[in-house]
Amino acid sequence: MKHISPNLVAADMPVRAPTRRALAKQQTRLKVLAAARKLFSEEGYEGATIRDIAAAAGMSTGAVFANFSDKSDLFREIMSDDMEVLNTAMRDAATRGRNVEDAVLKVFMAGYTFYKSRLQLARAAFSVSWDRDGGPTLRGLPSGMAFVDLFTEQLNAAVERGELSQEAEVKLRSQMLFDTYLSNFAQAIFEGWSLDALQTRAREQIRILLAGARRG
Amino acid sequence: MTADVETISGPTPARQSQKEATRQRVVNAARELFDTHGYQGTTIREIARHAGVAVGSVFTTFASKGEILSQVMQARIDPLYAELDRVMPHLHGSTLDRLRTMFAVHIAFEARHMRLFLSHIAAAYDWTLSPVARPYGADRRLMDVVRGCVEKGVEDGELRADLDVADVVTLLMAAYAWTYRLAITSNADAKGLIAAMDRQLALIVEGLKPTA
Repeated sequence: MKHISPNLVAADMPVRAPTRRALAKQQTRLKVLAAARKLFSEEGYEGATIRDIAAAAGMSTGAVFANFSDKSDLFREIMSDDMEVLNTAMRDAATRGRNVEDAVLKVFMAGYTFYKSRLQLARAAFSVSWDRDGGPTLRGLPSGMAFVDLFTEQLNAAVERGELSQEAEVKLRSQMLFDTYLSNFAQAIFEGWSLDALQTRAREQIRILLAGARRG
Repeated sequence: MTADVETISGPTPARQSQKEATRQRVVNAARELFDTHGYQGTTIREIARHAGVAVGSVFTTFASKGEILSQVMQARIDPLYAELDRVMPHLHGSTLDRLRTMFAVHIAFEARHMRLFLSHIAAAYDWTLSPVARPYGADRRLMDVVRGCVEKGVEDGELRADLDVADVVTLLMAAYAWTYRLAITSNADAKGLIAAMDRQLALIVEGLKPTA
């Protein structure tokens, strides 16, 4: 990802006033991203065109292409930004778990809460992720892989605490937890499930997925 | 009297069969295109051209791309379920064995046209789906077969009696659908997918057993 978030720039670079040109470019990027986010949410991935995004941002398609190579680049950037924010929220949620099952459940719920107001964007992302062309890049985003890593860390910590057995098949279980977390979005998107309903189901699913790894 | 009126005003048998022929050509063309270009990569215009019919006549039969795909998938899978309905009652072995066999049959079948099946999953999130379309997940037959396996396991005392069967079914369905991501991320074939599914099934079923 060539885009660097403003915060990162501020933290890592020596303090130097950005040129007016650089500022203008950053402004343009943000405007395009905001317009694209809105259109992807309203029209889906396929339905949103660069032309419409440019119009909504009040600029030419040329100006959009000066900042993003194509629509998929734009979409990845939006998803990647969100996933970074969500990752932090999930890590935070996990620390409040009373035990491994509770920690995992809190991670699930942090995700469902985050996307509650962005369900249509999530829907667009699922549609892209199942495409053989767009899918691998979206699924391979470092911020996406970090979700599975978070489950792995939770399970490994539980093994160390003695909550789960040494033969817990952590890798497979982490992946399955992530898949299960994702699969429940279908109910949230299409059947309007509440956070409470999602939590009840998720709790049972997590219990089943971890049952075989329990000690004793 | 009524019958007479219908014969006069209704479509003639010739027109009816012509319409059916067009429909068949559209479905065949769409199957090929979805299988090579995926769901997003295929347009109704291309389907019409490939089928050798006018775009307008595609729309007289189908409301959307998603609806065409639903038809393609349904026509494809009907024979599989006819076979499964016949075989499942006679299947022996543990719940795990039965689930493994049932999912392996599905994967072996779908993997022959992997991209078509991935299109089917992707289409479930499509914006323009009409209520008539049956995207992946809306077809209850697979879920019914899975539910049958789980319920039998509970009856036989092999699985916990207090299971919420609906929750278990969705968990199994999620594992099944998400196994196909291996076809996207690591280009896995039927063999690879079945092996991955077998491992996941073992893990899930282990969690369904009564605690000793």
